[in-house]
This record gives sequence, C-alpha cells and structure tokens, in this order.
Amino acid sequence: MSQVFHDIEKKIITSLRDNPKQTPESLEKSTQLSPDQIRRGIEWLKLKDLAIVFESKSSVMSLGKNGIESFEKGLPERRLLNLLKDGPKKLSDLQKELGFVFGPSMGLARKNNWVESSSDEISIKNSPSDLPGEKTLKLIGTEKLSKDKIDSTDLSGLLRRPDFIVEDIIKTKEISLSDAAKSIKISDSVGDIDVEAKVPEVFVARTHPLKDTIDEIREIFVTLGFSEILGNMTQSSFWNFDALFTPQDHPARELQDTFYLDKINAKKIGTPEQIRKVSESHKKNWRYQWDINEARKMVLRTHTTCVTIKHLAEKKPDETRIFSLGRVFRNEKVSYKHLVEFNQIEGVVVGKDASLKNLMGIQREFYKRIGITKIKFWPTFFPYTEPSLQTMVYNEKLGKWVELFGMGIFRPEVTKPLGITQPVLAWGGGIERIAMLKYDLSDVREFYNNNLGWLRSAKKCQ
Amino acid sequence: MPVIELSYSRLQKLIGKVSKKQISDSLPFLGLDIESEDKDLVRVEYSPNRPDYSTDFGIALGLQGLLGIKTGLIKLNIKKSNKYPISVKSNVSRIRPFVTGIIAKNGKIDDKTIKQLMTMQEDLHFGIGRKRKKSSIGIHDLDKISFPLVYTTINRNHKFIPLNSEKELNVSEILDTTDVGKDYGSLLGQSSQVPIILDERQNTVSFPPIINAAVTTVTTKTKNLFVEVTGLNKDDAEDMLSVVATVLQSAGFTLESVKITGAKNSSPKLESRKMTVNPLLINQILGLNLSPSKIISSLKKSRLDASSKGTNIICTIPAYRFDIFGPMDLVEEVALGYGIQNLEPTISPSQTIGKTNPVSLKLKSLDQTMIGLGYLEALNSSLTSKRVLYDMTNRDSTKLLSVLDSKSREHTILRDSILPGLLENLSRNIHESYPQKMFETGTVFATENPISEKISFSGISAHKDANFTEIKSIIQSALNIGFGITIETKTATDSTFEDGHCASIILNNVSIGIIGKIDSKVIENYKIRVPVVGFEISLSDSVLKN
Repeated sequence: MSQVFHDIEKKIITSLRDNPKQTPESLEKSTQLSPDQIRRGIEWLKLKDLAIVFESKSSVMSLGKNGIESFEKGLPERRLLNLLKDGPKKLSDLQKELGFVFGPSMGLARKNNWVESSSDEISIKNSPSDLPGEKTLKLIGTEKLSKDKIDSTDLSGLLRRPDFIVEDIIKTKEISLSDAAKSIKISDSVGDIDVEAKVPEVFVARTHPLKDTIDEIREIFVTLGFSEILGNMTQSSFWNFDALFTPQDHPARELQDTFYLDKINAKKIGTPEQIRKVSESHKKNWRYQWDINEARKMVLRTHTTCVTIKHLAEKKPDETRIFSLGRVFRNEKVSYKHLVEFNQIEGVVVGKDASLKNLMGIQREFYKRIGITKIKFWPTFFPYTEPSLQTMVYNEKLGKWVELFGMGIFRPEVTKPLGITQPVLAWGGGIERIAMLKYDLSDVREFYNNNLGWLRSAKKCQ
Repeated sequence: MPVIELSYSRLQKLIGKVSKKQISDSLPFLGLDIESEDKDLVRVEYSPNRPDYSTDFGIALGLQGLLGIKTGLIKLNIKKSNKYPISVKSNVSRIRPFVTGIIAKNGKIDDKTIKQLMTMQEDLHFGIGRKRKKSSIGIHDLDKISFPLVYTTINRNHKFIPLNSEKELNVSEILDTTDVGKDYGSLLGQSSQVPIILDERQNTVSFPPIINAAVTTVTTKTKNLFVEVTGLNKDDAEDMLSVVATVLQSAGFTLESVKITGAKNSSPKLESRKMTVNPLLINQILGLNLSPSKIISSLKKSRLDASSKGTNIICTIPAYRFDIFGPMDLVEEVALGYGIQNLEPTISPSQTIGKTNPVSLKLKSLDQTMIGLGYLEALNSSLTSKRVLYDMTNRDSTKLLSVLDSKSREHTILRDSILPGLLENLSRNIHESYPQKMFETGTVFATENPISEKISFSGISAHKDANFTEIKSIIQSALNIGFGITIETKTATDSTFEDGHCASIILNNVSIGIIGKIDSKVIENYKIRVPVVGFEISLSDSVLKN
C-alpha cells in the first residue's frame, strides 16, 4: 500500500532519502522549497511520525570591538613587546606610544616576566613566540566559529577581557526520517488526498449544559404527571417567609442571608384575610408582634416554594401535582461550591391520599430517572414542613453520602391560614448540584462563566 | 445550622450499653447530620428547633429512646425550696422585664462538661434567644452568692469585676471595651439604667444580657449551680430555662426551685403539657397502618409519654419540647420513633396529566432555532454589577435596582438588560477562536409597582466581518421561523451602539427592542479586537404576549 502525500512532503522525503540528516536550510537548497513550506512539511511529517526532528543548541564565537582591534594590530602586550624588540625604551615613551592600553599590557608583561625594568627603562626579559589568546584571535578572525572548534584554555583568557569575544547561542534543527518513513511507498497519483490526516476542529452551537439538565428534569416531572407553574423572582417577604411560617426575627431573614431590594416595598401583599390569618398564626405560635411592614419588604426569592404556596393559596385545589423551576438567591460569598444565584426545582402533590411514603416514592422514581439509585432518607428540619426529610445520595467519586433534595408535608400552620385543607407534599432542591454530578465539575461557578473553551467541549449526553 | 463536637466514649457512658457503631448509625435518624469523624470525636449538625441537642447530655437522652434503652418522658424532679428568693423591681419592665431561674446541686463538673455547657449557652443565645435579644442565660457558682437576690436596674457608673477580667470596670466601660459589650450593648438602647442582678450583700451576680460577674465563675471545683434566664417574654425565658434544667438533671444534678416575685414575675413551673392526636391522622400522613400501641411505643421512643383514650391518643410533652406546636408535630415524632428507615417508599399512580408551561415551550423552541442559526447558548446571573450593566456599556444607570449588603461586589444590581452580560462574556473569551456567536434568554427587571419582570432575548456575533446586515438577518429569521412574525427596523440611537448602525426593532408599529453594531468605545472598554453586532428584544412584549 502506498500513502498519499502532499508535494512538499514528497520532496522532503526524497531529499532525506538521499541525504539522511539535514538542517531546514540544507533542505531548502536541495528541494528548492521556501522556508515556510519546509517548516510546514516537517510539521506534517512529524505529526504522522514520519520525520524526526532533533533540536540542539550550540554556542558560536566571534570577535568583539576590542577583539577585532587586536586581530588587526596585535594584542596590546604584543604591541608592547614589538616596541621593545629593538632594545630598552623609556617608560614615558612607551606610555605615549601605547596610550590607554599601556597600563594593562605592562601589568601583564611584568606578571609573566616578559619584561624587566631598571631605573626608568623597560627591556625584554623573556619574550615568548606565541602569547596566550593569539592563536584563537587568528582562528576566529572576522568569521563566526563554533565553540567546540576552539582550544578552550587559549580562549579562556580572551573571555575575561571586556568586549574581546562575543558568544551567541544558536539553535539548530536536524531532520531525519523515521524507520517507517524510510520504507513507505509514496503514491504517484495526482489529486488523491490524505484521508487519514487530521482536520481542523469546528464548534457545535448548542444549548447550555445546565439548561440541558434543567430541561431533562422538567421533562421527568411532566411525565410523572406534574404541571409547570411560573412565578416572579422578586417576592414580598410575606410570600417568601411569613406565609411559610418563618418568624420575622428568624436568622434566615437577616440581610446577611437574604437579598432585600433597596427601598422597595410591596403595596399589596395578599388578601386582607390571608394577611390576618397568617399574622394570627405567627402571634399565637411564635409569640411576637407581627409587623406588616416587615412583610412588605421585597426580596429576591430564597426558594421557589413562595411560587407554589402562592399558587395553592389562590387555587385551593383538592388534588393537584405542580412544580416550578427557576432561579433563587442567597446572600453568600461566591466560592467553588456556593453561588448567589442558582436554579431550584420545587414540586408539590395535593390530595387526600398524599402521604410521606408517596413523597419518598416520587423522590426515588425521580432519582432513578436521572441515574441515581443509591439513596436514603434522613429526618431533618424546615420551618414550613412537618414531618421533614432530606434525600441522601451516594456520591461514588467522593465516597460519601451527600444531601440532595429536602422534602416534607406543609405544616398546618402554613396551610390552614391560607385556606388549604388537604395535605400538601412538597420537595425541592438545587439543580446545579445534580448538573455538577452529570458534567463531573468540581466548581459550580463554571456554569455561569460562559467560558467558550468549556461550552464548546462539554459533552452533550451524559 | 449549629454544629457540636461529641465524644463517642463519653456518649457511651451517658447512654448505657451501646456500641460506637450503633451510635454513629443512629445519629442521622435523630436528625443529626454527621459533619466529620476523627477516631473518638464526631461533629454533628443539629436543627435549631431542637436546642436540647446542643449538649451530649441531650443527645444521649434522644439516642437512649431511639435505641430502646430508656424510653418515655424525662420528668423534671424539682425540689420545692424557699431558700432562694429573687425579687423583681418594676424598673426592669421597660428594659428586660422577666427573670427566671433554677438551682442545680451536687453535680460533678469536669472540663468536658464545662465545655458542653458553654456551647449550649452560646447556641441557645444565638438560636431561640435571637442573639440574646429575646432571652439570655447566666450560669453561676451557687456557693459564691448569698440569697435573696434582687433583679433591678442600675446606672452606668455601677462597677464590678466582670467575667474574664482582673479589675473592676463600670457598665459603660464593659459596653465599650469588652467583646460581648460591643456585640450586645445595643440591646440595652440608650437608657441610662441597665438591668442587674445583685445579691444580699449588694454584690453583682449578673449584668444581663451582657456578662456575669467574675466572682460566680463556674470551674471544675464548682458543685452547686444557680442558673438565671432573663428576657422580654416570660414564656420564652422559661422555654430556655427548661432546656438547661433538663440538661443539668441528666448531667447528674438535683434541681431545686427559686422563688420569684414582683413586677408580674413568678416562679417557673416547667410543667409538661398534654396534646391529643388521632391515629387516623398519623396513619394517613405517614401512609402506614400502625396500631395505637405501636404509635404509643414510637412516641415513647421519641421521649414523650402517650396513652390511649377512646379512639384518640393523649400525648404528654415535656416543657423543653416547645418545638411541638400541634398534632402534626406528633406525627413526625411517631415517624422518628418508628424509624424513617422503616418507611418503604411507594409510588401511587398519577391521577393528573403533566404539562410543560407554554412559556417554557416557546423558549425551548426559540433555543432550537438559535442553535440552528449557529448560536451557542450562554447563561448569566440576573444579579450582576453596575460595572457590567452600565459603566462598560455607557448605559444610563439612574434607574438601577440594587440589593442591600451583598457579600459579593460582582452581584449587587438586578439586570435590566441581557446584552451587557454577553459583551462581558466576549471580553473573557478573546483568546478563543472566532467567530463567537452567543444568545441568552432570561428575566430582566424594572421598577414598576413595585417591580416588573419580563423575559428578554439577546444575541451577539463577534468576528472580523461582523456587520448590521448579518445580525438583522438572524433576528428576522429567528422570529419568522420560530413564531411567524415579521419585524421591521427603524433608525435609532443608543449609547451602547454605533450611530448610523443602530435601529429599533419594530413589531406592529411598537418598538420591542434594539439592534446594531456595538459602539467602538464599548468594544475598547472590553479590549475586544473584532467588530461586534447584537440585538435585544423583549419577548414578554412580543411573542409571549398572551
């Protein structure tokens, strides 16, 4: 079998078969391709495991300003020795001839015993034929030379001198063929394409992953016989708290837990009868002075229960199954596990046969449909339900039971003042928690970051 | 919810013959969530309606019942005594009118017991005491106090050595310099007089609801206790006292009464009460068919007493169970005593036909259309910030709707528009490949009677060739294919959009939204490097109308 290659790839492979190790520059020459074509061709072959690119770094030496001067005129100490070749000279004359290099060259010559001085005259004592560094200067000259071609002891003295030697690090690439490429057959047919090559990624337009979970949950409750109701996110405290038997001095009603709207109060909060009966229930059971102004304060709903209770108070059905789904708010510090705004599902069953066991049965059925089978129920407390339970589901990843939905039967102190006569089973809980399990997220904030990297890659079906 | 730390070995001593596993298996069925466990220690979260669970003594009583080791009501044995009189002066009635109390004798107090009592006190103060406003407790070493006591008021120059202090401070200094003074001083208002409990020698015992005197501090050497509770309401103060009395009795103390007189105050009775419940209600609500005797034994496991009377059951409820309001609460007590784990979930066939709300259906259909047009759905918070909503997009912020005291600066203002959030999203994705096309539907808010909530729909497209024609084609098709409606565009100006590239979206001669090219200043604010076009329309005013 032969493989389809791009023209560029063919030329590179052919050239490397003739000359197995090459640099990109030598490939340019041998294939007559542009540097950009060579770069791309090598990249393609590398992705197919056909080319091996070996990158190495090497150091290259050239002469600096002082180095070039010494290459042309000789090292300063050589110039000093040259001046003394014809016999001793006066210190002041030498100074005049050599200028500012006189000092360092004299020092070096004295230290090495090349010269000796008597009174104010300098003469040669022992002049060597080759001075340290001279060989290297000649070797490099005006060219660039790889460091490994230079005698390192001869070089070391020059490296210590300012601006004698300039060192550059250059990267070189060596390209060779892999074993597979050496024997591969190259197809000659013109117009064939590489059907095995990688293609660019395109992005799917899609609904938001959290919305998918919300839709899935809505669908499940509709098929279980529940009808969806909608309600406002801004609510009077009356429906969010008072109607649900939460006393006005309850900690949950404080600013630090609940969002109150600045300077906004509801004018009409309920019928006069509802207000009277709710306030009486509070006064009698919680023993305090109920204040209607407190009930008028507008809040961002802390649960969707306010929507269901309002609906029940209005319709007073003898039998019904309804649910509501939407955003709720808590004044919390945002963290990987807490948001100030999240989605909640809330459902109720009204009917004379409604019982706690039914409520547990509905929960179990719901969890089964979203793929959670390991569940149990624990008692808990909510101000507006009695008895109250919570579902615990087993999280395999964490290896422990985690709390999911809360549930219970609305207290008579909630239903009676609103004229609801039948038992009301109610449950509710956060949807993001379920979606986190489905999408395997550990940070709940990801749902609202709208990070395209995640939205474009999250898998649709879990 | 409050959390307390328990020791298994200590609980085992308090409960009787029981294994560690039995305890840890039973705690959740008492309504106590296990937070964490470390060898002998376990931290549990308890519900604020059960303040008796704020100590291991109270939890032990509950577990004894649930495990069938000791069942039935815990009776308070209070010895009548005249040795401990407290007289109340009428001047307290305007500040903190009620005091109640009890004597607890011959108990053993170790470090762990002191710790449990202190946690209980703090939890009671925070929960049913409503941060000491409604009621607050002081626990004292009885032997450092000489009766009779007087509960009266005193002026702010009054001096004594408060708890945890070495030197005398006057009331004003306590309120200004100590932590408890700063936290709770405001409960006393501006009045020049403050409540005080003084003993026979005029020594200060307590300065409620702020702090005790140092002299009565309870230590491991203390044998006999005096407990006082003060509050705004007699019943609330006695409720709190009943919890403390029950806990101290089960901790091994013998109780004796105090005698309280004056200014509408009287001695506490801490008596149990009776409540009738019909077994039919219990069986209906739980979905069970329990016999009266099974109901009675279940109630006893919940540490209540019960007996049959005709077809009804009469239940006796101790004073500390003031969380029980009516028969429905007794249904829960039966369920707990019976064991939640013994309730088998059942599903009854639905008599109703489920229905998705028409609004949700329409929005879902719109989602499908937008996806078909290549737009990705985004979700942003409705509670956002002034920066995102107004500053970055040059929008008018005079009608902003803000919430009070948000803990997060990013979440302070309710959105009146969706588009600014989408622009913010683009700015966070400038490193991702283009084109970037997103849409969102959601609620927007406006001040109106008191607040109107409408559903809005916005879309945005960013890439190097983005232009007005492209985005108008999108909204035109989305509304036409999705809802069969035809819109027109009419030249408009808007601070977020570029002049000459901006239009109102018109349906039946009414403007329902805005469309155009985003102004270059806005794009610069967000450091976006490609042109952006977008639109926003009110669905509530168009396709969702009726």
